[in-house]
Amino acid sequence: MGETEKIEVRDITRIERIGAHSHIRGLGLDDVLEARAVSQGMVGQKDARRAAGVVVQMVREGKIAGRCILLAGEPSTGKTAIAVGMAQALGTETPFTSMSGSEIYSLEMSKTEALSQALRKSIGVRIKEETEIIEGEVVEIQIERPATGTGQKVGKVTLKTTEMETNYDLGNKIIECFMKEKIQAGDVITIDKASGKVNKLGRSFTRARDYDATGAQTRFVQCPEGELQKRKEVVHTVTLHEIDVINSRTHGFLALFSGDTGEIKQEVRDQINNKVLEWREEGKAEINPGVLFIDEVHMLDIECFSYLNRALESDMAPVVVMATNRGITRIRGTNYRSPHGIPIDLLDRMIIIRTVPYTEKEVKEILKIRCEEEDCIMHPDALTILTRIATDTSLRYAIQLITTANLVCRRRKATEVNTEDVKKVYSLFLDENRSSKILKEYQDDYMFSEISEHEEEAAAVAGGGAKRRLDTGDGDAQAMEH
Amino acid sequence: MSYENWLNYLQSAEKNSMISGKLRKVLYKFPDGRQMAEEYNMDTGVVQRRAWRKCKQLMGEPEWEIELGEEPRQLNFAAGNKPNPAGGGDADNMAAGEFTLRESNTAPLLTKRVTKKNIEWRIRNLPYPIDVYNVRADAEQRAIIVRTNNKKYYKVIPVPELDRCSIPPVQANISTHHQFNTLIITYQKPAILCEMEAQVLLLLKNVETETDMDDLLKGLLAK
Repeated sequence: MGETEKIEVRDITRIERIGAHSHIRGLGLDDVLEARAVSQGMVGQKDARRAAGVVVQMVREGKIAGRCILLAGEPSTGKTAIAVGMAQALGTETPFTSMSGSEIYSLEMSKTEALSQALRKSIGVRIKEETEIIEGEVVEIQIERPATGTGQKVGKVTLKTTEMETNYDLGNKIIECFMKEKIQAGDVITIDKASGKVNKLGRSFTRARDYDATGAQTRFVQCPEGELQKRKEVVHTVTLHEIDVINSRTHGFLALFSGDTGEIKQEVRDQINNKVLEWREEGKAEINPGVLFIDEVHMLDIECFSYLNRALESDMAPVVVMATNRGITRIRGTNYRSPHGIPIDLLDRMIIIRTVPYTEKEVKEILKIRCEEEDCIMHPDALTILTRIATDTSLRYAIQLITTANLVCRRRKATEVNTEDVKKVYSLFLDENRSSKILKEYQDDYMFSEISEHEEEAAAVAGGGAKRRLDTGDGDAQAMEH
Repeated sequence: MSYENWLNYLQSAEKNSMISGKLRKVLYKFPDGRQMAEEYNMDTGVVQRRAWRKCKQLMGEPEWEIELGEEPRQLNFAAGNKPNPAGGGDADNMAAGEFTLRESNTAPLLTKRVTKKNIEWRIRNLPYPIDVYNVRADAEQRAIIVRTNNKKYYKVIPVPELDRCSIPPVQANISTHHQFNTLIITYQKPAILCEMEAQVLLLLKNVETETDMDDLLKGLLAK
């Protein structure tokens, strides 16, 4: 028992990176789907949120397949935020796949294959299965490594319940699992006999006083009763895509981890659809349709749209939510212009949710929430200035300034960001408007300035280019308006 | 107190039978997708082995679950022998290091055997003296429960035969014996169970039996 000597500090709070939408915890609706003014990180946009709430309800009921919802609105009016909010509101049980329109352009896979994989990733299947599990408290665990460092490891574990005790020999794979889960004497664990999955339930009450220092997250559980081996009905939630991958290759499920799935044959998909329907008839499986969210949907081209048209007809289709910030523009891959860059026939199948620009008050609220999210204490005056900046330029620019102002503030060893800090970063970092103004003024000094007469063509090429960051996208959109 | 259901269930199955050596093997394919295999001793008419194959699960092949009789278990784990036909994909049959988890070979091992008058369970590798064990018939769980007062072994043993006649196990029919590290639990068959088994044998009489494998082999060799 060499393992017990080095007690590791476990269960420390995980440090997570803060993303653009990590402050969103739901849609902020009450029981009757009315939007609260400020709740769960969402501010304003009441109508759109209420509409999204109805969509969430529709998904939860799970009866309707293949609906399409379009979130349309100007840049930085919270389209992606609403989608993230929907994902949070649906919970972890419902599959929510989020992708960007330009993700489908891959050299290894055709566009439609990428789309159909995304569609199938959004359909969950809950499968009930009876498996044999071993549930007990670890009395003793021995893992011997060969002195050379390579070769077979030998492991033995003694498990007990209140009534009995058994020794088990461990195979190589399961030893890895034990080491990864850091199983030690006194833990109550379950082992799935078929898959060899080890799951730690907590520590046994009888071992509660072994160490004084236990993390806050350490759970104490009773030692299990009765027999060690039990038959239990477990519910797996897998997506159709995962079943596809497992069945499409000889590698089996390893392809899932390597991500090297390649094209999956339509025959395999059809077979799996039939099998899943069969399971559903038998009551072994339940289909749990989820949501596919395609951001920047104007990046899809005409082929994808016509594929989607057909794919949405299938009764295995998820609810598709799309978002776009484009007005009437060219459909990619054609010369036709259409609202939102989406063909009319597909638009006809959609319900459209519009997001409206935030008011000054709402912008202030959002900035306040972001400050909290980034652990930044801001003086009310600084917040007012920042709100002003946000309304004059863009909300995203203002959010960028929070982080930078916070750093400037820390440099002068203060805890609260004041107006000076904000002013300083405002002068240090240009927003898009000021930057383009400078460009216009000094256009002749920059390189290749003589091309300017072909500006329109250049803009067209840039519009069809690869995936870019959203804020440059905003700039692009605004440039078009000029 | 009747075995009607069980007989009807057996009757509904598609049955195949063959004789090999002194054993008659019967394979039942039930309409609900389950399969059962039995081996009868030709001399005594007693079931020696019975195994079930439940319907196919999500992934992988279904395995045979042995209800009765010796499991063809290999003592030499490391050798990685070829799997036994009846062993299915048992973890024991995989080469060393490839198994996920198995009971150590000193762990108690339960086997079941049926004789003309009794049902017998043998639990090997139980070195504790006889007074440690407490064997009770539990009518509620419809099972026999083995406890040890040193908390080393505990087992709920279901008795499917009694379930098939829909009678609960009775304490009076149980007797225990301990010898050579083995606990032997004997359950005297009630009359109704014997009657049921006789009926099943009658049922099997009508099942056609394929050629004796030995004869077949001999015939092939003669050519």
